[in-house]
Amino acid sequence: MRELRRMAEFKMQLMLMFVLPLVSFACFSLIFRNNIENLPIAVLDEDHTQLSRQLKMMVGETPTAMIKYEVQDMEEAMKLMRQGKVYAVLQIPTSFEKSILGNSQTHVEFYNSGANLSTNGLLARDVQTAVTTFSTGVQLQLLQARGLTYSQAMAMARPVSFDKHVLFNPFVNYSYYLAPSLLAMMLLIFTVMSTVYAFGTELKYSTAGEWLATARGSITAAITGKMIPITVSMLFMTLAMYVVVFGIIGAPMNGSFAMLVAAALVFVLSYQAIGIFAVAVFANLRLALSFGGGYSVLAFTFSGLTFPTMAMYGGMRIFSLLFPFTFYMRIYVDIAMRGAPAAYALPNLGYMMLFQLLPLLLLRRMRRLCLNEKYWGKL
Amino acid sequence: MKRKRYISLYLKETASVMRNEFKTIFTDEGVMLILIFAIFIYSTLYGLAYGSQVLRNVPIGVVDNSKTPESRELAMSFDAGPNTYIAYEPADMEEARQLFYDREIYGIVYIPEDYAKKLLNGTQATVSVYCDASYFLMYRQVFQETVGALNDMGTTVELQRLVAQGINLPQAEAVSQPVIYQSHNLFNPYLGYGSFLMPAVIMLIIQQTLLLGIGMIGGTWREFDIYSRLTPKGESRMSTLPVVFGKALTYLIVSALTASYILSLHYHFYHYPMNGAPLTVAALVFPYLLACIFLAITLSTLFSHRENSLLWMLWSSIFILLLSGVSFPADAIPESLRVVAKVFPSSYAVPAFVRVQDMGASFVDILPEIRALWRQVFVYGGMALIAMHFTLNDRLRARLRRRLDKRVGRQ
Repeated sequence: MRELRRMAEFKMQLMLMFVLPLVSFACFSLIFRNNIENLPIAVLDEDHTQLSRQLKMMVGETPTAMIKYEVQDMEEAMKLMRQGKVYAVLQIPTSFEKSILGNSQTHVEFYNSGANLSTNGLLARDVQTAVTTFSTGVQLQLLQARGLTYSQAMAMARPVSFDKHVLFNPFVNYSYYLAPSLLAMMLLIFTVMSTVYAFGTELKYSTAGEWLATARGSITAAITGKMIPITVSMLFMTLAMYVVVFGIIGAPMNGSFAMLVAAALVFVLSYQAIGIFAVAVFANLRLALSFGGGYSVLAFTFSGLTFPTMAMYGGMRIFSLLFPFTFYMRIYVDIAMRGAPAAYALPNLGYMMLFQLLPLLLLRRMRRLCLNEKYWGKL
Repeated sequence: MKRKRYISLYLKETASVMRNEFKTIFTDEGVMLILIFAIFIYSTLYGLAYGSQVLRNVPIGVVDNSKTPESRELAMSFDAGPNTYIAYEPADMEEARQLFYDREIYGIVYIPEDYAKKLLNGTQATVSVYCDASYFLMYRQVFQETVGALNDMGTTVELQRLVAQGINLPQAEAVSQPVIYQSHNLFNPYLGYGSFLMPAVIMLIIQQTLLLGIGMIGGTWREFDIYSRLTPKGESRMSTLPVVFGKALTYLIVSALTASYILSLHYHFYHYPMNGAPLTVAALVFPYLLACIFLAITLSTLFSHRENSLLWMLWSSIFILLLSGVSFPADAIPESLRVVAKVFPSSYAVPAFVRVQDMGASFVDILPEIRALWRQVFVYGGMALIAMHFTLNDRLRARLRRRLDKRVGRQ
């Protein structure tokens, strides 16, 4: 009860627990509602023929590429790239049409900027597909001109065809993949911050003794009492997060929702435990906040979501196990995207629970901090 | 006479502000952690995380129901490339799925029973590729390697068939592959992940640590009323100009030192691309630092407690990274948010910096961004002066009121 009254006093606490998380969710949902499309590229068409126009049209019609500039030479194209106006350049050589009609090989060059891997990947995929489709169309006509029927020509042109199945994120949608993880990052940052703040202010404003007294001297009861309001509010935030992810952004959901909520609960509890741990170690609100903040932000990099842990050096791979976020994202990917049976989440859930043991190690120190005035009122 | 007095007073106040700021920065662990060490810690940790730069040898599974020399040859071609290797050859799709859920493999190729037969008959054989788009980089490597290998195989087979029909080789080549597609990756030829992300992240760390660190100092000033403690004897309050410029100069010196460490030693050590002319880099980084510092000073007057800057602003780091167009292309960000993004110096500096360092863009190429940054320097500089002026006045009023209350109380 004391907690609720105290919360009303500390406006910052309420900001951290309710207002800022919702604001951040709103910001992210604004970004991720858009699909990535129509990235500007330049074309250097040295041929200016029917066929080169057709190829340009096919490239322009792909979802991600949009031909924004027609340039006269490579120098001009590079300039546009250095000015950040285009991400890539497509070059169609002279006598492009003549070669095709004259039965000799020709080529198309695609210069794709590697400075931005996300646009690079999307453009590489779409432009390659467009050019391959164009090339196959030409082949079919050439073969039919040789007297083959359409199906014979097709078998000839593509003796090994493949059907591509993109699992779990069938539209290869960038938002579906980035948004759930970034919202979870927000959830964990606010969990850590509000936990550290709730505990640290007791020390900073020298009210820790009173706090312990309210819990009749039991440090476990004091901590639990402090935790519950934060846990409850973060659980609400979790639900808000899933509304944004599945409702507004429309990410796929193929598994058990109950399991996801359970995972998020354990995830929140783990980060609360880490928050308590930080305060107990540093015995100083500001240092604990700096540490907690720094640690929270690192989680994303080491979760292996964007750059897989598989590719990291061995030592770094172990480092990635220090963040509950890594395990939470594994569960999310397994359950929501891949639709794996709920049982697959259990080992990861177990690992996350290990983090909750952290504060237990320091219970005695926590008690000492609360009783000894020496630790109070530090900056 | 009067003017001279002001100048000497201003200089004295500037010096005392700078002395005080240097002292805070180097004695306050919290500030030192954020303003100085954070840059070293983050850049090193991120650098190590992305140290290997590229993802190679993604394990995939091949379900080969054909079990013929032809299907072997196809399977081997997936193994030959650098990006994937065959970790398992599951007996059926069910087993493959199991391996997939266990995270043993990240893609499956299914070769049907009639593969070799169809190939020999001259009809079309179909191979299925299953790749997982829940991890984008994995998806990309698996997709490119398998589809590339399949296309090559198709071209080879077609060529053989055409030659078998008695068509001469150059003509057969032209028919089997009329348009050769060649893709070149500029500026980052091996598509290294660190080379892509780190320049942007480094610029962002500089901005965020300045905002947080200066905000923390600002909170401290208000919480402990340093404003009145530094007031010279005989003056009612500190003058605005020396406070703002004294602070700005101090932070500029500190951040210029950390930034030059990052841009020289750190860059060399991790082999990040540095194609920009040093002068161009400096012409960009200098207004960037100034704009960040003035923005930070403006914001810092709002914080009444030292921890508040962290609490308010930490979460925004990730959001600002997104807005700067690195992980999510700027062209896909809604117009309304692009306006919000213009508030932050990083939204101009990050893209410009990436273009300078990766593509070797010249001063003229990034002129629009440099202009925008200077605009920000002046706007935020002005705002910092105004905000500081009001803060100092408020302090003064509060102190006068206290004194007045005391006198009233005595009577």
